[in-house]
Parts: sequence; structure tokens; C-alpha cells
Amino acid sequence: MISLLRNQKVRNALLQVFYVGSLAALVLAGVVIARRNLAEQGITSGFDFLYKSTGWDVSFSLLPVTANDPYWWFFLIGIINTLFLGSIGLLLATVVGTVVGLARTSSNELARLLGRTYVDIFRNIPLILQAFFWYAIITHLPTPRAAHEAWGMLLTSRGLYLPAPNVGGVAMALAILPLFAAVALPVWLGRTSRLSRPVGERLVIQLAGIAAALACAVLILIVGRLPDAPLLDFPALQGLNLKGGLRIPPEFSALAVAIAIYGGSYIAEIVRGGFKAVGKGQVEAALSLGLSPWRVFTLVKLPLALRAMLPILANQYVWLIKATTMGIAVGFTDFFMIVALTINHSGQTLEAIGILMAGFLTINLSLAAVFNRINKAIALKGNQLRG
Amino acid sequence: MNSTQSPGAAVRIENLDKYYGTFHALRNVNLSVERGEKIVVCGPSGSGKSTMIRCINRLEQHNGGRITVLGTELNDDVGNIDGIRREVGMVFQHFNLFPHMTVLENCMIAPMIVRKRPRAEAEATARRYLEKVRIPEQATKFPGQLSGGQQQRVAIARALCMQPQIMLFDEPTSALDPEMIAEVLDVMVTLASEGMTMICVTHEMGFARRVADRVIFMDGGEIVEEAPPEEFFTSCRNERTRQFLSQVLGH
Repeated sequence: MISLLRNQKVRNALLQVFYVGSLAALVLAGVVIARRNLAEQGITSGFDFLYKSTGWDVSFSLLPVTANDPYWWFFLIGIINTLFLGSIGLLLATVVGTVVGLARTSSNELARLLGRTYVDIFRNIPLILQAFFWYAIITHLPTPRAAHEAWGMLLTSRGLYLPAPNVGGVAMALAILPLFAAVALPVWLGRTSRLSRPVGERLVIQLAGIAAALACAVLILIVGRLPDAPLLDFPALQGLNLKGGLRIPPEFSALAVAIAIYGGSYIAEIVRGGFKAVGKGQVEAALSLGLSPWRVFTLVKLPLALRAMLPILANQYVWLIKATTMGIAVGFTDFFMIVALTINHSGQTLEAIGILMAGFLTINLSLAAVFNRINKAIALKGNQLRG
Repeated sequence: MNSTQSPGAAVRIENLDKYYGTFHALRNVNLSVERGEKIVVCGPSGSGKSTMIRCINRLEQHNGGRITVLGTELNDDVGNIDGIRREVGMVFQHFNLFPHMTVLENCMIAPMIVRKRPRAEAEATARRYLEKVRIPEQATKFPGQLSGGQQQRVAIARALCMQPQIMLFDEPTSALDPEMIAEVLDVMVTLASEGMTMICVTHEMGFARRVADRVIFMDGGEIVEEAPPEEFFTSCRNERTRQFLSQVLGH
């Protein structure tokens, strides 16, 4: 008979009880203290403020907004702004990172040197400094009257003006769905036809899937366009200012560029690591079969490198999404800035911060979940691999 | 080495030199392999045997001398390199299968892309060769799901699917458990009996005795002994060869 305190199971159970008990006590104490302090300051806690109108305005929104709109609408706008900035930033960072990362693994000495210099410089300067730098550059671009123009886009100190589709909000939202499909479809098609078709044919099918989804999105836009208006609204000079089209403010551009360039330097290292992880043996085998260097890259190096990169890349993406909170530094109304303004104006600090945390948790956990699914789907099968 | 001048040689290596930095890996190597000949290359590790056969399909670049494969000189001409790689299959010590493709895809990919074979034909060829290496039932599995011996047989099938004229084997059984060595060697013996030109780097002396037309012993980057198997195993001239043989055959 073992003494009760020396029994491993009893000990573990006691430790669990102690741990859970202290945690519960800590949370309870926090709630009690917060309630008492709030009551002393005469602040009513609760989420009723969400339905009051804010009385202030935001500088950038993809959805229609006025100062009469309630707080919850502003939070939504903040989340959408964060997602918009995040997705553009991640996309650009991935492009930059891929190019620089490939340069770093290249056999060309000059390309390697350039890649290394890029990473050394931009990885070691704080993101906030880079955001300020690009903001300064962009706000010193020419005035609207002397705008740089290319393909209907205008680049000025007041922002980047893009041609915008003359489309209703519902159709706009609907058109986003096929875009998601364009990402999901090739993955699904790649899996279902895996055994019956070799890589080349799969690629054609996947590209066809993407094209179909994009065509679907364009079709929705055409059907949903506003009556008596051309499909695209081009920005044009009216008086001293530009009218029409979609204005991307300098704050947004500065952040997107900063995230692209800073994030790109990190992603470049991930890309480089991914390609380094590809077995030399597999590459030699592909070469010995007579495959051209380009085919070796697309059929062997890239698919294997991607598998090595994805988990770390997901980590980096989550990190970069959080970096969008840098918006407050240059005045971009992202989720964090909306929350900060809400706290200033309404005094509902705990609730607003709670919403902020829940929002970022939702975004980043969803992102992580998607990446975990992809990882699992493309994981190499079997445990007998060597070399 | 009087066979160097014969016109129909599958592989002709003349005065081959190879350096890694300042290390002289191959010293003035001369070797001629006729079509249909089976050569076994052995020697202590670091003697340059792998380097030599890797030079034959340009996985290593030689620094001096000439290599002619099936009448084409192996030089900086990319067309020549591609042409030679199409006709020279290679099997590696660590199999080097593509782990993200099924066994079937591993076998179909090169014929479809390099030889531009239609899918149905490539698949039929792949299944035929998988049958030949006795694993047709594994076609839809992934390499990681197979044992080492099975993987190496797939690797042989993958190389054969390109229907090469010459096969290079770089220590194909060195990474395998003893019971798996036999299944791979069986496939290689069958291949040899069908007239394939083979250059095998291996320490399987039983295989050498049974299959090889000539056994080559390398040491210090040089070919020090070259003889038919009986002569090689019974009356080799070189002291270093005798010492090596006593080590591999001694127990």
C-alpha cells in the first residue's frame, strides 16, 4: 500500500485541483475589483454603448459611414479595414519575400548579395519607423493637379486613386465569395484528381478552376452594377481635387508598403529556409531523369519547399496581421485605432478591449485553422522517408 | 585499356580529372564500357567511385579529360547534357523518390514531360515496370509508405520508365537491411540478363561474381585494377586490392 501523498495519480490530481482553483480565484478577484472600481467612477459597464451613435468620423472605410452610425458599425468597419490592410499587406509581403528569398538561394552571386543586403536592412529597422518613412514619402508625392497617371490610376500626395466598379454593396459582397472559391477550388481539385492525373494535367485543371471562379466574380459585378452607369468609374480632376474612383489614402498605402517590405524580409528567410530543406537527392534524381532545371523547380523543389515553409509562414502571417495595429501611428482607422477612439469617447475601456481581443483572436485563429488544414492536406504520407 | 578506341562504346572516359577545391578526387581515369556490358566498381570509401559514375550524367562536372556517352561528348552544351540524361538512368543509395508523388506518378512524370508520352502510354509503361520490379500493388501508395527495399525497386522502375540505354547504380543496396538487399539485387540481376548496359558501384561481391563482365577496383581516385570477376577475385595483382578483398570477403 503506497502512502496517499506518494501516489503519483493522487499527486497529479491534487496539483490539478490547486491549479484550477488558483486560476478561478484570480479571475474572480479581477472581476470583483473591476466592478467595484467602475462603480466608484460612475461608469456603467455593459455593451449598451454599441447601439449609440459615435458622433465622430473615420478617415477611411470600404462601407458607407457617417457620424450618426452606432459603435458596432464602426467596429465592423475597423475589422474590415484591418482585414483589407492585412490581406493586401500579406499578399505583397509574400510576393516580395518570394522574390528576395529566391534571390538568396540563387546560384548568382550578385542576386544573393542583393537579397542578403535587403534582408539585413529591412529586417533590422523597426516596423513603426518604416511606416513613418513611407508615410513621409507618400505625402510628398505631387499634388492632384500634377498626378502621376498609369492605366487609369492616379498617384498623388492625397492618395492612390483607382478605378472603382459602379456596383451595389450586395453584389460587391457576393463577388467576394467566388474569390474565396478561387483559392479553395484548386486545392480541392488537386486532391480529388491526385491519383488519376499527373502533375501537369492537374495544374491545367486547377488553373481552369481559378479562371472559372474569377469569371464568376466578374459576372456578378456586371449583373450587380448600378443602372445608367459605366462598369468602371475612373477618377478625374474636378477643380483642385480628384473626384470619382476609389481613393486609397496615404496612411493605408504607407502601412501596406511598410508591411510588404518589412514582412517581406522575414518571409524571404522563410522561403530560403524552405528551399534549403529540399533534399539534394530528390533534385539530383529529377535532374538524372532529364527534367529541365525549370521543371525540377516547379515539380520537385517548389512543392517540397512549400511543405517546409507553410507552418512557419502561418506563424509569420499571424504576426503581420497583428502588425496592422501600427495603423494608429500614421492615422489609419484600423480595428485597433477604432477601439482606441472608442475608449476615448465612450470610456468603455474594458468592453472595447474585450472586443478588440476577441476580434484579433477570431481573425488569427481562423487564419491558423485554415493553414493547419492545408498543412494536413498536403503533408507527406508515410514515415519511411530518407535522404 | 585497349578497348578505349572502339566506336560502339556506350561510355568512354578518357583521362578524366576531377577536383573538389584542391582535393584531387579523380586522377587520370580511363574506362570504356561497351553496349550491354556490366561493370561493377568497388573500392574503399573516398576512392572516387561514386564521383566517377556521377560524372557520367553530369551530376558532377569533370575538370579535365573527356567523357563520351553513346557517341555524344559530355561538355557544357546543355542539349548534350539533356540528351545524355534522357538515355542514362540512375539509381541512388538513398532512393531519392519524390515523396509528394505516388509511386505511379514518380514513374510517369519524366516520360510524360521529358519524352512527351501521352498519359495513358506513360501509365501503361509505369505499370509494366512496376510489375517487373514486383510491386504492381503499391502503385497508388506514396514512397513514405513503402519499406526501403520497395522504395529502391520503385526507384529502379522510375529510371527504367525513361527506357534508358545505360543504367548507373550508386551503392543501391548500402542503405538497406540485409533481407531487402536480396530483393533489389534480384531485380538488378534480371535487368542484367536482359542485356542492359550497367555500371554499378557496389560492395555486393556475390552480385559482381554472378553478373559483372568486368570488376573495377578504385583507390585514391585511380583505377588500380580492372579484370573479369574470376580473375579479379582469385589472382588480383595489386596489393591494395588484395587487402580490400580480404576485408569484404573475410567474414
